[in-house]
Amino acid sequence: MTKSNGASALGAMLVLCLGATVAQAQGVKVGVVQGLSGPPAVVDYGESYLQGIELALDDYLKASPKHKVELVVYNDEANPQKAVAFVQRLISNDRVSAVIGTVNSGNVAAFAPLLQEAKIPLMIGPAVATNLTLQFIDKKPSFIFRCALVEKYQLDKMLDWAIAGKKKIGLLHGTSGYGQFVAAEVQKGIAERNTQLVGVESAAPNVTDMTPQVLKLKESGADLVLLFHESPELFYRALPKAGYRPTVAGTAALSAAAMLRIVGKEGMEGTVMGDSLDLNQTQAKEVDQKLRAKFGEKYRWPAVAALGHDAMKLILGAVDASGGGNAEKIRDALEQTKGFKGATGAPAVPYSPNDHECLDPGDVFLSVWRDGRTVKLQ
Amino acid sequence: MNPVDLIQVLVSGVALGGVYTLIGKGMFITYRTTQTLNFGQGDLLAVAAYLALTLATAGAPAPVVLVGSVAAVALLGMVVERVAVRPFQDRPHAAGALAWILTTFGFGLILQNMLVSVWGKSKQYSPPLFSTKADSLVTLAEVRFYREELAVALASLVIVGLFYLALFRSRWGKQVAAVAFDKATSALLGIDVKRTVVSSYVLMAMLAAISGVLIGPIVTIQPHIGLLFLVKGFAVVSVGGFTNPIGVLVAGIAFGVVEGFANYFDSLFGDLYAYVFVFFILIFRPTGLFGERHQGVR
Repeated sequence: MTKSNGASALGAMLVLCLGATVAQAQGVKVGVVQGLSGPPAVVDYGESYLQGIELALDDYLKASPKHKVELVVYNDEANPQKAVAFVQRLISNDRVSAVIGTVNSGNVAAFAPLLQEAKIPLMIGPAVATNLTLQFIDKKPSFIFRCALVEKYQLDKMLDWAIAGKKKIGLLHGTSGYGQFVAAEVQKGIAERNTQLVGVESAAPNVTDMTPQVLKLKESGADLVLLFHESPELFYRALPKAGYRPTVAGTAALSAAAMLRIVGKEGMEGTVMGDSLDLNQTQAKEVDQKLRAKFGEKYRWPAVAALGHDAMKLILGAVDASGGGNAEKIRDALEQTKGFKGATGAPAVPYSPNDHECLDPGDVFLSVWRDGRTVKLQ
Repeated sequence: MNPVDLIQVLVSGVALGGVYTLIGKGMFITYRTTQTLNFGQGDLLAVAAYLALTLATAGAPAPVVLVGSVAAVALLGMVVERVAVRPFQDRPHAAGALAWILTTFGFGLILQNMLVSVWGKSKQYSPPLFSTKADSLVTLAEVRFYREELAVALASLVIVGLFYLALFRSRWGKQVAAVAFDKATSALLGIDVKRTVVSSYVLMAMLAAISGVLIGPIVTIQPHIGLLFLVKGFAVVSVGGFTNPIGVLVAGIAFGVVEGFANYFDSLFGDLYAYVFVFFILIFRPTGLFGERHQGVR
């Protein structure tokens, strides 16, 4: 080797090393948009999901990671304009490789097209509206994925269970966009099963008393009330006044620790809700204990935090599999994820080109409050 | 609708109407002395609810919970008058004459953020004041209600009575009327205008605090709950008239009862009807049902 060739090789090695160091230093940025302030119903979802994300990242960084991954977190305050603005910032300024978010399905619907256009994978969560990934699945490739409980999967399980029990079903829903959406889904599901609701009541999102609605449901003879409201605790508060004790069933919101604290063990006993977290499973138990240790009293919603954990773990797995921060390669790696082990019921192969939901209908089950704990409904 | 349900809805409506009345009363008294409203009044209610929650959870007896929370919030009433209202009262014709709207609202936002910092963003439930169990009910002729509902309805009635006596049968009431009529003349007559104004703000805060303490065990509390009661209190005082304490009571109870029955008969638009009534009443009687055209000369 001549002197000049040796110098060139040394220079090339230096450039390569320097390049690698720069790439390592720049790392991989994952954007997070969540509802972290505003109505408590939104905040509980947003903070819990974020807790799961943070735990998954902690675990990743502790285990000699291949890449330096960092989160860029924005609070959309459940406001669609802010959510869109933050996603635009994540795309243009922060140059993230993937985005996770958010609580409100409407917000997701507003910013998902931007990410599809920018070819940056979006992991939707914890928004539940049924069609969020479906409307992009034909794009080939779709950059829109989700790790959350899909509303329809929960409802289908719940309605099948209710009808099998030959119950007279009533519905109490909110008048917000979410409440109206769920009401339509419930009524559609009921019609598909050739039955009918004996009573339908609604309440504004900021209501302070549900006594009138509870009295009407009692009058209708409903012995099962499907409850989809941002303040479900107010429904329980009015029950003793009405001398009414129906079975209550609803979304995962009913499994929040706040429900137990406000309504009490006796009040929540027998309440049924959609779930994907079985704390009898080793992985779920382990994640639950870690979340408890990390966040203490601030850890208040295992079902949602576990979903956030799995969402981030899926992204991190895809970052490793794709070899870095290339958004399109991360998308491909996400779709080809194999051997996944999450805290929720997400399967080992969660995604395919035609399915971008980490949970399939079979992974969702019903839980019930028994003696101050949520257990799988047998 | 069976008679028991009818009375049940009525009782719930009266209880919530009592809270709206107390908030409306607070607006009435500050408007009377300063022609200003405290747009952070609902947040004082929230502060009192959280203080009551803390004291009750610590095991303090009901009188301590009530007196402690009301006293602390009364101090906040003095502070809001001093920092958010008085600076703009001395220059009523300056460009910022309406700045108190922003400053009182801002004061409320500061309180909301303090509540979030101390008690967190989630909903909380305040333990009952007058019973040991959360679902202890009073039953009268098959109608069941929480003791706090009864307390809030009674409190609003008693306070309106005391209010009436204080305003129209006491020396302080005469001072308030004089200050409402003309501050400069009142001062010339030897009335301590500042003290009268401060007392009206303290009274406003105490009314908000009483509502907050009593409402905690009935509804769930969260840092932003104040805005809801502020809006309804404002609607009530607009209908009742800014010059008539009895009008505020009638409007407050009516608002709560209309809201209750509207939610019973048409829950999809239940909360809308009460506001529709307010809207039509104000179209035909802009001074409110019991308002007088020339406030302050009664």
